[in-house]
Amino acid sequence: MINEEPNADEFSYPGLGEVMFMKAENFINSVLSWGRSRSLWPLTFGTKCCAMEMIPFGATKVDADRTGTLFVGDSPRQADLILCSGTISKKMVRRLLSAYEQMASPKYVIAVGACNISGGLFHDSYNSIEGIDRIIPVDVYIPGCPPRPEMFMDAVLALQKLIRENKEQGH
Amino acid sequence: METVERLKSEFSSSLTSLPSTNANETLLLLSENEALKKLVKSISTEFDILFTLLVVDRPPEAFELNYVFSRYRDSALLTIRVNLNHDKPVIDSIAKILPSAEWEEREAYDLFGIKFRGHPDLRRILLQDDWPGRPLRKDFVVTDEIRNWTGLDLKF
Ligand code: SF4
Repeated sequence: MINEEPNADEFSYPGLGEVMFMKAENFINSVLSWGRSRSLWPLTFGTKCCAMEMIPFGATKVDADRTGTLFVGDSPRQADLILCSGTISKKMVRRLLSAYEQMASPKYVIAVGACNISGGLFHDSYNSIEGIDRIIPVDVYIPGCPPRPEMFMDAVLALQKLIRENKEQGH
Repeated sequence: METVERLKSEFSSSLTSLPSTNANETLLLLSENEALKKLVKSISTEFDILFTLLVVDRPPEAFELNYVFSRYRDSALLTIRVNLNHDKPVIDSIAKILPSAEWEEREAYDLFGIKFRGHPDLRRILLQDDWPGRPLRKDFVVTDEIRNWTGLDLKF
């Protein structure tokens, strides 16, 4: 279930006993990845109808803020995560890349919706990109047309888990 | 419509009425492409806007251009139909007479490759400037090359 409370241990630092026998590098890494996972500031790169579902994702019922996913500024320079949704046309590719390149590393990508993952409705069109993973590396996919706001929450929680377990280093 | 009577007396030999399915619309075929600018000038005294510009690709003979004019007073529609040579689709621009034609003509240029003589800024409007081909032409085929084209040198 998505609306479950996150486990208590997900919030905790490594315990004192573990810290004493940890390499300094590992300790720093685990603190860093804990911090990163809890403050994923997203850039909402919505080009079409899926972007409508991002609004309830940030609003009261689903409430992205409680996971540290704050919709602040919405500028690529202050974002760690790009929530990329909608069809990316060939003209838009350059704008997407320039937004992506302005984000500070490590950066993460969530591809939202059928259009974004595979071309969706506009599959086989002359002017759409069939999947943004041809352009930028994607960490988590959210399928659906459009996906429900709860699925956004699920994806963010999944990404946080990957980051905390150091499976996802970002790019 | 008295405008039509006036136009017909002015351009007697080159204008023919065609039946229209829309009661609010008058459809005229212009057989002399050179007269378009003069005709539009004469129309623009009564019709304020170019409502839309429709292009139909009819290979191998012609591109059919439908200029739909409208006016605010009673929303009447007047369509002027022009046929262009399919191999050399060139026609005078009317953007200087009716400014709303500027983007319509850019769109026709973008998607069909029709050239408008004397257009102030004839560039692509929807697609990327270096996009290969004219996608709405009937002879355009979506190949793998087109599908994967981004115009960028991407390597991962
Ligand atoms: S996946 Fe569906 S809802 Fe999302 S952008 Fe495409 S058409 Fe719109």
